[in-house]
Amino acid sequence: MKIVKIIVIIVFVILIAPGRAAAGGPFGPPQPIAKEAGGLHTGIGYWFHEDKYKNGTEQVTRQNQVYSELGYGSRNGWEITARVGMSDLKLIDAFSSSAASTATSKKDFEEHGKFFGTAGAKGFYPFNKTFGMGAFIQGTYYFSDFNDTVSGTQNGVPFSVKLSVKNLWDVNFGMGLQVTVPYGIKMYLGPYVYYSEAKVSPSTDVAGVALASGETTMKNKTGFGGFTGIEVPLAKGFRLNLEGQYTERLSIGAAVSYVY
Amino acid sequence: MKAFSFLVLLFVFFVAGCAHSPDPVASLAPPAAPPQAQQVMVVSDSVQIPPNPPEMPVKSETKNVDDYGDIEVLEKVSEEARGEIADPLEPFNRAMYHFNDKLYFWVLKPVAQGYGKVVPEVARVSVSNFFANLAFPIRFVNCLLQANFKGAAAELGRFTLNTLWGVGGFLDPASSEDINLSKQDEDFGQTLGAYGLGQGFFIIWPLFGPSSPRDTVGLVGDAFLTPSTYFTPWYAGAGTKVYDRVNDTSLNIGDYESLKEAAIDPYVAIRDAYVQYRLKKVNRKGGNTPAEDSGLPKNE
Repeated sequence: MKIVKIIVIIVFVILIAPGRAAAGGPFGPPQPIAKEAGGLHTGIGYWFHEDKYKNGTEQVTRQNQVYSELGYGSRNGWEITARVGMSDLKLIDAFSSSAASTATSKKDFEEHGKFFGTAGAKGFYPFNKTFGMGAFIQGTYYFSDFNDTVSGTQNGVPFSVKLSVKNLWDVNFGMGLQVTVPYGIKMYLGPYVYYSEAKVSPSTDVAGVALASGETTMKNKTGFGGFTGIEVPLAKGFRLNLEGQYTERLSIGAAVSYVY
Repeated sequence: MKAFSFLVLLFVFFVAGCAHSPDPVASLAPPAAPPQAQQVMVVSDSVQIPPNPPEMPVKSETKNVDDYGDIEVLEKVSEEARGEIADPLEPFNRAMYHFNDKLYFWVLKPVAQGYGKVVPEVARVSVSNFFANLAFPIRFVNCLLQANFKGAAAELGRFTLNTLWGVGGFLDPASSEDINLSKQDEDFGQTLGAYGLGQGFFIIWPLFGPSSPRDTVGLVGDAFLTPSTYFTPWYAGAGTKVYDRVNDTSLNIGDYESLKEAAIDPYVAIRDAYVQYRLKKVNRKGGNTPAEDSGLPKNE
């Protein structure tokens, strides 16, 4: 009965959740990686993220994130995590011109090394020693703006425009099914929904450059996706987590955690 | 100009220490200055020293004692081997001891107690871990200088683990039972000691506490390897060091008081504790003083 209640709650939350989504790093296995009696874990990770955004035109984004994670919880209950990290941002073909009269010096918007923070919480319910189910919510916010400048000519007149991507954030909610196989290896998969947006602000408008036409809000194109991963115990309290997420594009990453 | 004068002064003390400690002595002398809290913590160790230190080292007995100079040298060997140290600046040192004592009771301790009431112990231990992690270059370089490559590897491993999985050094997973990489407590004063340089004489610096010419030079060497030294403006680095000291003191309140209450003459107790502590640390890493000459148990 208790299981049914949990599933009903999860399904309900998924249904009322926003229909768009994003991805701000791996979600990890549904089961918290803390010790059974509770405790801390730390980790470092790398996440390669791709997605599609839209604000009139579609925009492919690419990010490389490195982060450090701190979490607290208990193995068969709940866990809260916090991450801080750095990321780049590439908007592919953001500066490409659709107008014949406009030529730009480069095609892609790109900037490196911006700090972000992620907070997350998850709950887990073990059916037995092998199977379990969990749900999570996770959000990411970028503390500073991404900026890039492009120069070019418009009708033979040179121009230079600075494009800023401000207040990039996302929130994810999902649920996962986990299978624990011999040697403590955990495999998991599940669906998730997400929402992500950022303000795009050009210093001046340029005809033919989609993102340089006034301040706009970029939102993720698709609101849902799936994730799958594996967590492998290593020696001396370390654990390796490999995960992939798919929405419009594939995102993958790896993290090594240490359980206190 | 002030910095230059200070360096000249250090050099004079250093040279004086060498002059005070000819080669045979230097080879048996103890090493450099630890944080004050640690000095106090090892006071109990000095109590374990046998009341009757060993006679003159065998090596010394084979010398041809043919004049008073040699006898003085040999006496000095025995003196330092027992963990004693010359104290020609005793009046100055006692004055500085009282200055530091008042500074502790009137300023440092109240501030540390107030800080301790506001900040939970777990946070203060984390801060202590962070500063210890930040001091990694001192321990790593001095392990290398002492050809302690295993220790250097352990330090490198500790730094990597604690920085990456210890949230920048605030946690210390490297010391956990699973990993068990212990901290290599090495500094430049110990390195000089391991090379056979004698302590020289005892000196108490205002603010910095007990030291010797050799350990003072060691402090300067360590300062070059301390990241906070390079903070700008200068008071950011100084503030960082003061905060580290306050945090450290908040975790060790009572140690100094215990030593002071137990001693008939706290000044002498601190001097002896300091010398024994430094001697023990140099010996531990294969310094030139054999354990049987130091008056310390062999397993020390």
